Amino acid sequence: MLEAHDLMVFYENMIALNNISIKCDESQIVGIFGANSAGKSTLMYSLSGIMLDIRKKELMAGGERITLRGEVIFQSQNIMNLKPSLRAKAGIVLCPERRRLFKESSVLENLRIGGYLATKAQAKHTLEYVMEVYPALQKLKNRLGGFLSGGEQQMVAIGRALMAQPKVLLLDEPLLGLSPLMQATLIKSTKAIQKEKKISIIIAEQYARPVFPIVDYAYILENGAAVMEGTREELMNNPDVKSAYFGVS
Amino acid sequence: MEILVYGTINSVSLALMGLGFAMVYGISRVPNFAHGALYIVCGFVTWTLFHKIGLPYFISIILSLCVNGVLGILMYRFVLIRVRGMNISEIIASYAIGLAILEGFRFGGFRGMTYTLPVFMEGSLMIGSVPVDFHRLIMMVIGILLVAGLWVFTHHTRIGLALQGMAQDERAALMLGIDSDFMAMLAMGFGAVLAGVAATLILPLGNIVVESGYHVLIMSIAVCIVGGLGSWTGAFFAAFIIGYAQILTVVFIGSHFQMVVALLAIILTLILKPSGLFGQQKELEERV
Ligand SMILES: Nc1ncnc2c1ncn2[C@@H]1O[C@H](COP(=O)(O)OP(=O)(O)OP(=O)(O)O)[C@@H](O)[C@H]1O
Ligand SMILES: [Mg+2]
Repeated sequence: MLEAHDLMVFYENMIALNNISIKCDESQIVGIFGANSAGKSTLMYSLSGIMLDIRKKELMAGGERITLRGEVIFQSQNIMNLKPSLRAKAGIVLCPERRRLFKESSVLENLRIGGYLATKAQAKHTLEYVMEVYPALQKLKNRLGGFLSGGEQQMVAIGRALMAQPKVLLLDEPLLGLSPLMQATLIKSTKAIQKEKKISIIIAEQYARPVFPIVDYAYILENGAAVMEGTREELMNNPDVKSAYFGVS
Repeated sequence: MEILVYGTINSVSLALMGLGFAMVYGISRVPNFAHGALYIVCGFVTWTLFHKIGLPYFISIILSLCVNGVLGILMYRFVLIRVRGMNISEIIASYAIGLAILEGFRFGGFRGMTYTLPVFMEGSLMIGSVPVDFHRLIMMVIGILLVAGLWVFTHHTRIGLALQGMAQDERAALMLGIDSDFMAMLAMGFGAVLAGVAATLILPLGNIVVESGYHVLIMSIAVCIVGGLGSWTGAFFAAFIIGYAQILTVVFIGSHFQMVVALLAIILTLILKPSGLFGQQKELEERV
């Protein structure tokens, strides 16, 4: 459904993604694991097209030169040059690193801004759904985005992305800075969302352990290259993966 | 009492002038230096439609507001879109457009004190011991309705919410399918219409002269810098601070110093609190 072929990204002369090919099928949850600066966010930005915006802004401000190579295929069309807003419309929605809530808007407004692409009926329906998946948000509806805890912010961020009616939801480090309990709750709800909405989800995380139980397939990134990949079972039984990604988390 | 009444009126007119500028900057981060020119365009277009072509006053106003909106959109679509994000070029390009428009009018013969628009309603009213004409009262009422209307628009409509999202975090908005160039274009259109609304309300109180285009630009920049660039609430409060300060200067020092107050406010703000009255959030972010 969503695929990347031989993706390469350079920031000036530094290579951030080195010939990466990944694939996410219909109704799959795919994990992307890697340490800090492995290139997870760069990959997420390339899939969602935000990279084009970053490149444009850098060009405008006279900043660094960013080069993109390779293909991104969505529903068997090459969307490498499609604007990020149109990719979102096509169904690729990114829930970014550090959440990026609209801090001066209330939780409800954040969600309604997320519903920009939705029809009235879809927005109403999804709003109810988000409140059902994250009942904690019910009481916080009118709280400003800037005054939420990390876990609450993450729920709003995922909810806001759902409002955009994704077919593929990209989650960039959704567990960053959350307590183990909160992590477990979020992961459980992520699985529930995938099942009930019948969407595909790609999750990028540093630590594989909390996410691993729900992924169908996973890639392991190191220095911008995919060094390993496989189904959950394959990776779980691989001794290298065990020591590198499950030993210390 | 005089100070209170005229201070409020002056503040509302400053807020009207600055509103469009603040909106465009808040959403697209383009400081629209053609704002004053758009204000004057609306004045002269209304004048032409009303006096030369002979359309009814109300129709002339509505038509020239539409002209302004289209002008704003075209300005963005054909010029500013290429420079958005290039800080200096944004200012140069928009100022060049503004200059061309204003000096174009001057060149085209729109000079002198002969260009006036009628007030909406003749007569006046006593507030305490101060006489206030109806037009100024209407201006206040419309000003307040406009702010309320904008609030409802930005909090309760799809486009308004999207504009708010983009104003706060353009890239996050982009991830949700909100096309930033389209929104910036809309914002320019709205900003131009707001400049026109300000012109429609304020110009009947005096003559339409090219110079006031520059004056309006400086006042809107003052209001926005003092209030904190990008903050609409800030701009609104700043309009009241500068508005009252100006009236106080007029009463106690002399009317020549009105402009000095605005410039002084800009300089003081830049020295004491560069992010403006309501710029705390941004200040925090810069520190992080
Ligand atoms: N805008 C940029 N300009 C230059 N280099 C960048 C830029 N963004 C990322 N990089 C570099 O690209 C590499 C990959 O960064 P990326 O943000 O994709 O990593 P990540 O896996 O998301 O890391 P983290 O876990 O810290 O979020 C890093 O070495 C980083 O320094
Ligand atoms: Mg990252």
